[in-house]
Amino acid sequence: MNITDSSEIIKKLAEEKEKFSRDIKEVSSSEDVYKLKVRYIGAKSFIISTLGSVGSLPAQIRPVVGRETNIVKKEIEAVLEQKEKYFKSLQFDLDLRKEKIDISLPGRKMPAGKKHIISAVIEEIEDIFIGMGFEIAEGPEVETDYYNFEALNTPADHPARSLHDTFFISEDTLLRTHTSPVQIRYMEKNKPPIYIIVPGKVYRKDYDISHTPMFTQIEGLVVDKTINFGNLKWMLEKFVHEIFGKERKVRFRPHYFPFTEPSAEVDVSCDICAGSGCRTCGGSGWLEILGAGMVDPNLYRYVNYDPEEVNGFAFGMGIERICMLKYGINDIRLFYENDLRFIDQF
Amino acid sequence: MKVTLNWLKEFLDLGNRGINPAEIASMLTMSGTEVKKIEYTGEKFKNIVVGKIIDFKQHPNADKLSVCQVDSGTGLLNIVCGANNFSKNDKVALALEGAVTSQGLKIGKSKLRGEISEGMMCSEYELGFSDESEGIMILSSSCTVGQGFAESLGIDDVVFELEITPNRPDCLNVAGIAREISVLADIPLKERDYDAEERLNNDKDYEIEIKDYTLCPRYCAKIFKDIPKIESPEWLKNRLIMCDYRPIDLIVDITNYVMHEVGQPLHAFDADLLYSNKIIIRTAKSGEKIRSIDDSIRNLKEDMLVIADEKKPVAIAGVMGGKDTEINTSTKNVLLESANFYGPSIMRTSSALGLRSEASNRFEKKLDPGLTLIAIKRFEELLSEITGTKFAGTIYDNYKKTARTRTIGLRLDKVKSVLGTEIEAAQISRILSGLGIKTKIKSAEFAENIKSDIIAAEIPSFRFEDLEREIDLIEEIARIYGFEKFVSAPPAALLRGGKYSFFQKTLRQLRQLLCDSGFYEVINYSFTGAQWLQKVKTASEDQYSSAVKIINPINEEFEYLRTSPLPLMVKNAVNNINHDVRNIRIFEITKVYKRLEDKKLPEEKTVLGVLISGKSWLKSWNENEKAFDFFDLKGVLELLYSRFYGSTPAFEISGREFKFFHPAVSAEIIAGKTAAGIIGKIHPLIIEDLDILQDIFYMELDLEVFIKNSGRQLKFKPIPQFPAIVIDIAIVVDKDAKNSEIVNEIEKSGTSLLKEVKLFDIYVGRQVEEGKKSIAYSLTFRDDLRTLKDTEVDIIVKRIVQNLGRKFGAKLRQ
Repeated sequence: MNITDSSEIIKKLAEEKEKFSRDIKEVSSSEDVYKLKVRYIGAKSFIISTLGSVGSLPAQIRPVVGRETNIVKKEIEAVLEQKEKYFKSLQFDLDLRKEKIDISLPGRKMPAGKKHIISAVIEEIEDIFIGMGFEIAEGPEVETDYYNFEALNTPADHPARSLHDTFFISEDTLLRTHTSPVQIRYMEKNKPPIYIIVPGKVYRKDYDISHTPMFTQIEGLVVDKTINFGNLKWMLEKFVHEIFGKERKVRFRPHYFPFTEPSAEVDVSCDICAGSGCRTCGGSGWLEILGAGMVDPNLYRYVNYDPEEVNGFAFGMGIERICMLKYGINDIRLFYENDLRFIDQF
Repeated sequence: MKVTLNWLKEFLDLGNRGINPAEIASMLTMSGTEVKKIEYTGEKFKNIVVGKIIDFKQHPNADKLSVCQVDSGTGLLNIVCGANNFSKNDKVALALEGAVTSQGLKIGKSKLRGEISEGMMCSEYELGFSDESEGIMILSSSCTVGQGFAESLGIDDVVFELEITPNRPDCLNVAGIAREISVLADIPLKERDYDAEERLNNDKDYEIEIKDYTLCPRYCAKIFKDIPKIESPEWLKNRLIMCDYRPIDLIVDITNYVMHEVGQPLHAFDADLLYSNKIIIRTAKSGEKIRSIDDSIRNLKEDMLVIADEKKPVAIAGVMGGKDTEINTSTKNVLLESANFYGPSIMRTSSALGLRSEASNRFEKKLDPGLTLIAIKRFEELLSEITGTKFAGTIYDNYKKTARTRTIGLRLDKVKSVLGTEIEAAQISRILSGLGIKTKIKSAEFAENIKSDIIAAEIPSFRFEDLEREIDLIEEIARIYGFEKFVSAPPAALLRGGKYSFFQKTLRQLRQLLCDSGFYEVINYSFTGAQWLQKVKTASEDQYSSAVKIINPINEEFEYLRTSPLPLMVKNAVNNINHDVRNIRIFEITKVYKRLEDKKLPEEKTVLGVLISGKSWLKSWNENEKAFDFFDLKGVLELLYSRFYGSTPAFEISGREFKFFHPAVSAEIIAGKTAAGIIGKIHPLIIEDLDILQDIFYMELDLEVFIKNSGRQLKFKPIPQFPAIVIDIAIVVDKDAKNSEIVNEIEKSGTSLLKEVKLFDIYVGRQVEEGKKSIAYSLTFRDDLRTLKDTEVDIIVKRIVQNLGRKFGAKLRQ
């Protein structure tokens, strides 16, 4: 070839490029792309042969031809690569769709257990009171008559004793009938201010659909310089709203306990009938859930506090009852049968 | 206790004021006398009136029916009736249009075989008085035609069922409840005047001897002679029935009526059956017996108070009368007892005899001795009214008076400091005087070192037992004032931080960890029985033998306190398996109790029991099933120690046989040098005996020990920068060689460059010699400061193999 002018080649390059642009629009598969590759930048193509013969061109046009040819080659290469990727990804997507699984099949089961509902509710209640600045105290379940009755203002001949059917270990040791003995034990060892709750098992000799010989109570005790009945109301209202919900009403009804005075039973409005009266609440619209009251000053004498210097309140509740109300459980014995079909429900 | 509205009204001076039963109930409830139920007894007899049969004739189209003309008080009605037990002028219960029978049948106008019927004449069955009846109910001729049926029978009333707290014996009667209503609703009380002083001890025909005035401060008696033999009137019977008493005969009915009305138990003796005219109140003599009214022989103890004639006991004081001197059909003359006994003594006697009565229930709460005369007079009044006979005469009264009034100083600032709300002195006075407490306001100068005004409150005899202190008065004020009026407010010093102790916090984490690992928490009773303990062979083990025994258990299944969670957890497993829940992962955190010879109270310890049985993995479309084995449980133990103690193993288990475990799969858990628990497989013979077909694995941890020593000191360790070299070796050793000892030896020989030893294979079979096993470990070596060279590691591995060879005769497996 004897060329001294580059314009011929440049023109041819432009034609190639234009032809390619037309051809590339027609491709519909990786194979088509490959064919174009061979045609335009394959060993026998115009572009590659041009590049191969650049060395034999006259020196003054060599750089122009070399540069222009390379530019066109790169442009074509880029378009081809892009097309190739496109067709590959189409194929890949088709292949993936073939890896079909039945997503409706059940998952592999991770082992997961449950807390006993009594524990779960105790923890829930503990958290509420911890949030209000309480600590958790504990005491023995086998108790002396002194702590279970006498120091709680319930001497041997007190009529209130007949309300507790007590299990005895010996003449003056017994299974505690309530968590209240911990009030005395804690006050003996600590000085006010006292803000404690006491969860624990208690025992009474009763066994039917609404009584088990062992059940669970949470006791609360607050003793401080200026504690009054209004404070008791505030705290228990807050508690009831936390555990049963803000929409529930709370009422304090005078009652009698030997170790508090004044004493109250605390009712929460029945959620089944919204207070209008139904079978669950016995028609009253209210459900009893707590016993409470101001600490009887006599107790302070047993623990060497000056009743003129401190006031306090105490409260107690049965966890089973709270669970039964909260979850609609109708037989208290279910809690202790440990049927996994029961435990798994909560 | 039940009271009726009409009965209460006899004590309340209503004037022309109306009274709303629901309002009264709510007031009582909100002042401490809870109303459990209100029953409107007249309601079910609505539209039933007293009718009078004027005339009747045969139904023209039916043989068995009659057509009657009945006067309803407002006109004559045509009634078709199927009964034939009536005659002209009989008075009947006439159900008018709108009435509903007790079977729920609505009465309306109808046509029966062509004849119009404008209502129904009711039988006792239709009125709900009996389960079946023949014919219609014929009423007493004294009933007023047109009057409501319920009203004419005295049962148009409202019955309140009340819960009386044990501190309020003064409310265990109609008069006491009326007093409460009076102060709550501001209704004056009707005064009843029972002055009988002039008739006390006028003659000496009867003698009353009291041996111990502490046990019996007062004994009153009166003789009623020649009592006419008549039945109790309907109104009396009906009131008793509405208040849950069973009518018996006139005398007994009136004693019950008076007790219910004023609160004083009475007892009537057949005066002619007493040995002589002397009544002795004394304690029982050794070996004495009495046949009580319920016809059983009671063995009396020497601390029991009895009423006796000169020969023998005739009643158990305050508890129950004697059969021999009981009122009977031929009784003519009655000795009526109205006495005051010492409450605690009555309570002891009634609980020792297992005999509780309406009388003992009142006496044990301590009654006012002032009631005795009131009750006798009221009895006399009622008996006279009913029989139309006058019964005057002496009232015998033996009474050792003690002071029964006191004055309590009530500080107004104390009222506020307890209740949190200020109540004015005038209001306090009004509340207290409504309760029968006289008050006088004294200013602060009343006494030294008293800062506020004081109300001097004079306590009446009937509240002498329960109003002793200032706080007792504050309670009275509070309950009448109304708890709902006290303002809720946070405690002044509430800003405090609440917290869990370390033990409590760890226990919670432990519970959560076990649940998250697939375990369900169980909670069992603290009791168990000898029979079950023997079944699971824990009764005779040393550590289980010192169980605490309950003197009065529910039954023998609840006789001993638990010394271990094991027996009842095994029971849980068996019960669930029997319910076809066969794959079991459960744990329990509970106290166990151990008798201590030298201590009054037993040792109480918190322990953890963990039990697995059945399959750990169930067969599924993508999974093979796998049964639990010992190492599943040991994995739990390892999890607990690694979670709460850190990665270094803080425990070891050493083989020790327990009767309840498989002899070859039975071990003790040792932490440091302390026994921390046990782990093993329940003995196959126990499993066989329990009639189940799957193994049970059980582990127990002493949580006091476990938690006390737990708590990881966490400190950051740099993340390794240089690559590790991992070498697998397999050695052949004796079949009995222990993994833990081999690992120990590897670690000892491995230098500080050996970071981890992992057992990955054990092989016993044809490819190794008989009596040997191949055991393979993966050893990880790393230097934290540089990259290790293979040659260095090779030397260490060679040394390890050599040492294993020396110690265990181990050979590298080719």
